[in-house]
Amino acid sequence: MSDLIQSVDSPQTIACAARRLREIVQQKEIVPEAVLDIFDQWAAAMDDPGLREVPGVAFLRLWLRRGNLEPILLRELGPNSLNGGWREDGRAKLRAFPLGVVGHWPAGNIEIQPVLSLTCALLGGNACIVRVPSRLVSITGQVMEKLEEVDRTGLLIDRIVMASFDHSRMDLHEAMAQAVDGAMIWGGAEAVSQLRGLPFPHWARLLVFGPRVSAAAMDAETWGDRTERFSWCRRIARDVWQFDQQACSSPQALFLERGAGCDPKEFVEDLRQAFQEENRQHPRGEIEPALTSSISQARASWLLGNAENSALFPASPDWTILLGTGTKMPSPTQGRTLTVLEVDDLLEVVSNFDGALQTLGLGVRDAQKEERLVQAAGRRGLDRVVKVGRMHVFSSPWDGTELIRSMVRVVRHVPSRDC
Amino acid sequence: MSALAEIEQEIESLLMQPPYGGVPQQRRSVLLALLKKELAYACDRNPSFRNYVEHWPVDFRVADKISDLPYLPVGVFKTNPPLALVDADNVKRTLTSSATTGQTPSRVVLDAATAKRMAKGVITIIRDFIGAARRPYLVIDTPENLTAQAELGARGAAIQGLSSFATEIVCCLRTGQEGDSSLDVEKLLACAAKWKHADVLVYGFTYVIWTHLVEPLRRQGITLDIPNVRVLHSGGWKRLEQQAVTRDEFSRGVASIFGCSSDRILDFYGMVENVGVIYPDCDHGNKHVPAFAEIIVRNPLTLAPIKIGEQGLIQVCSVLPTSFPGFLLLTEDLAEVIGWDKCPCGRRGATFRFVGRLSKAEVRGCGNLEAARYQQGHGIGVA
Repeated sequence: MSDLIQSVDSPQTIACAARRLREIVQQKEIVPEAVLDIFDQWAAAMDDPGLREVPGVAFLRLWLRRGNLEPILLRELGPNSLNGGWREDGRAKLRAFPLGVVGHWPAGNIEIQPVLSLTCALLGGNACIVRVPSRLVSITGQVMEKLEEVDRTGLLIDRIVMASFDHSRMDLHEAMAQAVDGAMIWGGAEAVSQLRGLPFPHWARLLVFGPRVSAAAMDAETWGDRTERFSWCRRIARDVWQFDQQACSSPQALFLERGAGCDPKEFVEDLRQAFQEENRQHPRGEIEPALTSSISQARASWLLGNAENSALFPASPDWTILLGTGTKMPSPTQGRTLTVLEVDDLLEVVSNFDGALQTLGLGVRDAQKEERLVQAAGRRGLDRVVKVGRMHVFSSPWDGTELIRSMVRVVRHVPSRDC
Repeated sequence: MSALAEIEQEIESLLMQPPYGGVPQQRRSVLLALLKKELAYACDRNPSFRNYVEHWPVDFRVADKISDLPYLPVGVFKTNPPLALVDADNVKRTLTSSATTGQTPSRVVLDAATAKRMAKGVITIIRDFIGAARRPYLVIDTPENLTAQAELGARGAAIQGLSSFATEIVCCLRTGQEGDSSLDVEKLLACAAKWKHADVLVYGFTYVIWTHLVEPLRRQGITLDIPNVRVLHSGGWKRLEQQAVTRDEFSRGVASIFGCSSDRILDFYGMVENVGVIYPDCDHGNKHVPAFAEIIVRNPLTLAPIKIGEQGLIQVCSVLPTSFPGFLLLTEDLAEVIGWDKCPCGRRGATFRFVGRLSKAEVRGCGNLEAARYQQGHGIGVA
């Protein structure tokens, strides 16, 4: 496994590493074109039996491909950006420069997040200090080993420091914050609130992803169609299963618009089969006892709270479907617990959304209705509206933010000489 | 005979038996039949509970194992009004758990019959450990916890539950003007002098005994010299673990204050939701289940019962309550199963050891908003 991830115990180690990284950024420029070359090889190297089962690696391989990243770079940084060239803007010229050293605080629940986060900063020419959560040290090490294999000259490796330390070591978090020019922070409410308060330099640019929740919604024409229903259920199951429903893009609720002749109980029977099938293919290997307790609590609260509510679940905590009515987002339980709510009008659901909602997965047959839902969702703070089954397929903009552009400074040069 | 009367008669019969004497298989068979009757009764009494039971993956009427019966997570008793099987008019007392700051306590309602059975259950169990004789009872708490109240906390319930073993009761803590508790050393020393050669029962919450009795007396270099004492304590180790006080250190510390041997210090596990059932440590450090109760330890990954030597979530089962559906409860505690029978102490049935409370999940994830955000007004989250 890669020895790139260091177990760090002192703030001085972080400060020294940051100084070295800053010197590299200031002395050796790398253009996106060179980064894309290495990323493309990295993606190919990750086609490894040992990595195939790691959640998110398939997405990471697609993400790193030139065919995916080149259009994003051109859109975010403009033409000529691939070779680090200037572009005309009237009398002025514009060019992206790195922020410098970017600190990354990925969430502990998404296996590929430490790597995904750093790729965004590297594309902008930055150097990176990544705090790798203890649970992800092994997996991140395996992925980084593949980068070491393809980056033989150390063009990117020299710009990366990966640090592992306990989440409670505030002195090390502070040292990291003081040493960076930008930060990408991912995680739950508690972690994000704590990290936002770190002593970053006043010029540091912070990019915060999460905490958010997501939902799915379907109109009656879609979910009521018996021929298509099961395949929609399979898509929903996939979205629920990935990342054990702990990602911000994981659907916590599914809203079904009422329709004549459409029975939600029939629908959830298909959903049950889809969940059982998904569970057979991707059984849990472990679970935190606290999550088991939360799942049991969610089942009981749902059924005791309203005698009209119903639910489907096995004796194990493997999955749970809670069925009822209501237009508001329920309290997220996670752990493959989906609340299915019947509603009169999906627009009413969307009108209850706020900035806490990140992604809306849709299954809507009527294009105009979908258009109205998307407009309303955008106004209410949602950042992504995608087809059900593709809720975790991200691209830039990510959470409404341009990933690469956010970690560069666009320098404007107005020539001093008169034309 | 009504369903309730039949149930009550069967509970009484179980309470009359030696608590740890029956053959485990027979005990389980009797319990299974009675628990099924209680579930059917509870479904008749409470439509919400019926809704829960009807959605359980196994029909309780055809279940052939207690572990297949529908159980509730203890958190459901944090709702207000409390989950009940009796009308408000019949509630004699409400028990509340000792929630730490910021947490919502559990609340369970007792009617007269359940309250009576609760007392009987505790007496039956304690008698098996310390004998039936009445003796002076020293309470390491304030006298307020002895007064009869409509709403009673876990400390008060435990203190009052042991009062039937008392010839006289002395509370050795006093409440200051600002509501703080402190040790009444003079009163304590007077008791010690008076009870020097007597069998004495002492009870207090674990952390109260340590912080309000052991530590102050140690500082003053005082020992009590009551060697025939039996010190019972409960309430959990969380606060003492924060102070890095181990169980051994606690027992030695308490024993040195009373001038007794460490084996006279008895820790018991219990919770208000599991009324009438407590689990003291036997001489071999194991916890036992009385005839009117059962314990199942479940694997968190599958929720299936675990094997000997494994650890999992504790499910407590008790036939005693008929005023609330507390028959089968999944707790937020972890235990290790030691065996299914034949502890060297002679008590029969399942033996287990308490491992600890569930810790908060470390992995929070980017999808984890503060739960409180969704708990207002939606009626879904449990406060």
